Amino acid sequence: MFRVPLLVALALSIAFGLGIASAVQALKTTVGFGVITLGPWTAYPNAQTSAADPYARAHRARQGRLLYGGAEGLQFIAATDSAGQPLDGRCRYDIVGQTPVARFWTLYMADAQDRAISAAPELPTALNAWTALHEAEGRILIHVSARAEPDNWLASKAAGPYRLVFTLLDTPTAGSSGLIEVTMPEIRQTGCGHA
Amino acid sequence: MRKLLYAVLLGLIGAAMLHIVLILGLPRFSTGDAYSRVLGLFEMDSFFSLTREPGATGLSDDDPFLRVAVCGFSVAGGPVRFTASGDVPFWSLALYDSTSNEVFSMNDATAVNRQLDVIAATPRQLTDLRKLPSDALGPAILVEMPDQEGYAVLRALAPTPSYEEGARAFLAKAGCDTVRP
Repeated sequence: MFRVPLLVALALSIAFGLGIASAVQALKTTVGFGVITLGPWTAYPNAQTSAADPYARAHRARQGRLLYGGAEGLQFIAATDSAGQPLDGRCRYDIVGQTPVARFWTLYMADAQDRAISAAPELPTALNAWTALHEAEGRILIHVSARAEPDNWLASKAAGPYRLVFTLLDTPTAGSSGLIEVTMPEIRQTGCGHA
Repeated sequence: MRKLLYAVLLGLIGAAMLHIVLILGLPRFSTGDAYSRVLGLFEMDSFFSLTREPGATGLSDDDPFLRVAVCGFSVAGGPVRFTASGDVPFWSLALYDSTSNEVFSMNDATAVNRQLDVIAATPRQLTDLRKLPSDALGPAILVEMPDQEGYAVLRALAPTPSYEEGARAFLAKAGCDTVRP
């Protein structure tokens, strides 16, 4: 005689449990569609517009961040190196290559919530187009490691994951669809541990 | 057994519907979205400079080289004029409506004399503004707001610490005022 209430309870628990869990999971794992992926770097050029899909809108409403407008810039975020391994403070990386066309760029290290972090206030954790040393033909080579290195160096934490946030200011990349020709620097892992 | 399958199927359909309702409804009911956070600063009609540490509403300027100021505004009482000028290597402005959709954005390269002068208004106010003699408005850029409320984000670049003071002064002097006709 308890079969019908049991079946109703089962249907309701599946509906609410799965519905809420899938919505929360979708907001956690994705920032919506319309992603540009250039190697390890991802950007969402339309996340702030009315053309954004419902997932992007829900995500941005939940995050409550001040996004970059189309004429302002475009923010690329990398959580992995070019080989797909998560960025880890125990490893050393080289960010090498050409930066896309933009009037200015900034690069900083961030935590999982994309807030800027610093290993210690006196250590460099951010670089920009003016402060970075450029090689011939405008290429950049930036070392990221916990131990100090010559040339461009960003100080990572001794351990733990982090992200790299690369912001292009006033870039044609943000407004146009000609994204195929854009190349972002590679993030090469050059070793882990003390070796 | 068939009843059990039926219940599971019904549950899955309900889950899909709930998923869609949650995703679509979240922007409307969220209290942590950017517009609510800007309103939480209690600074209407003036630019509020953000700090590196997240403030009471959780807004902060994340980029170490960009100083950010926000202004929540409403064009219900008249058009709102955004002004700023100063010596910064780069500045940019973005106007958003209350659902955080971008209405307008620009940077110093597209501004007249590298000075910020933008007027946000409703379509009706814009018709009135265009009837004014051209020297009354100067080189101001007119922007049509889809709804009355919105917020403006002004960013100023400080590539090295020596530019910091200029960027802060640029944001502190920036205006976000209702134009009284």
